[in-house]
Amino acid sequence: MSKLDNLMQLDGALAAFDFSSSGELQDSKIADGAEIENDVLDMVCHVCVANGAIATMQARGWEKMTQMEGFYPIQGFSLIGFEWTVIVSDSIGVIIKNDKVDYDATYAVLES
Amino acid sequence: MIKNLLAEDGVMAICQFRDDGALVEGYGVMSDDMLPKLAKFAHDYKRMVQGNADQLAMFTQMSGWTPPGGWLVKGEVWAVCGVSNLVCVIDLRETTLNPVMKALHEAANW
Amino acid sequence: MSLIDELASQPGVMAAGEYAYRGDRFSYVGQLTEELARMASIMCRTTSMALHMQVDMLKEMGRDCGCAPAQGWSVKGKDYTVCVRANVFCFIDNKSNELNNIMKFLNEHIASDEGAMV
Repeated sequence: MSKLDNLMQLDGALAAFDFSSSGELQDSKIADGAEIENDVLDMVCHVCVANGAIATMQARGWEKMTQMEGFYPIQGFSLIGFEWTVIVSDSIGVIIKNDKVDYDATYAVLES
Repeated sequence: MIKNLLAEDGVMAICQFRDDGALVEGYGVMSDDMLPKLAKFAHDYKRMVQGNADQLAMFTQMSGWTPPGGWLVKGEVWAVCGVSNLVCVIDLRETTLNPVMKALHEAANW
Repeated sequence: MSLIDELASQPGVMAAGEYAYRGDRFSYVGQLTEELARMASIMCRTTSMALHMQVDMLKEMGRDCGCAPAQGWSVKGKDYTVCVRANVFCFIDNKSNELNNIMKFLNEHIASDEGAMV
């Protein structure tokens, strides 16, 4: 099974996707009945890339200034929305209903 | 007063916004419902740029980054630029950036 | 006990704090110096404001897709994770495996963000 399929097995998963380094949606799986379409996913991917870049800049600056290492490289970013949460690592992500989110299980699949 | 900026070549729209992002006044070739959205975007974008400039100053320990003088996003045809609480949309087929940025800086100091 | 004190006392939490969206004040508890806490609050505040803008724009695209207003975010680093909910932030040690519990704590103790950022 592909990683996207594995992500869709997570409880509450609404969509799984992967994207290019500049944020364009490359592939997706969307759960039956989920009111999410690929053009929304494409925007979500761009949000993830933008914030991954910001977080990387922050981790770099923080470590340089504080000598407190352990943030860089960024391994994941998560956005908690009003009803659902996006979790991404590298170029793959998943959208999960807020009341079902299991960060540890999701990162385990993303990092597998 | 900011309406005068429409006389500059290539300026398609100009808005002034309050510190909470609400539209104060706006003019140009843009529908009435889009002008408040442009104002809100410019307000949010300005705050984001300010935050990133603060971080750059913090991490580089250099003065000169903050407070940011403005921002500019350039596309193939359109550019959007903001100075102080003003934002304008430019058609790059009709102008270059320098004259508009100069006029925008002047208007921001009126 | 304040929310920040309680959050900082949770297993796995190295430090916790909160900041004003206006950027004029912050408070913190835990394993950070005052200067590091100030830096952390600047960084967290900037990311939160950027996310609010991005998510509001997603909604502006004409789809109320369940994303807006943004409630928070987290960034997982090699050894540490930063979690933010509304204007509250905390640093978690990844070795503790407490991410789910901390996110649950934040969800249960911080009211939904209505997007006003005041």
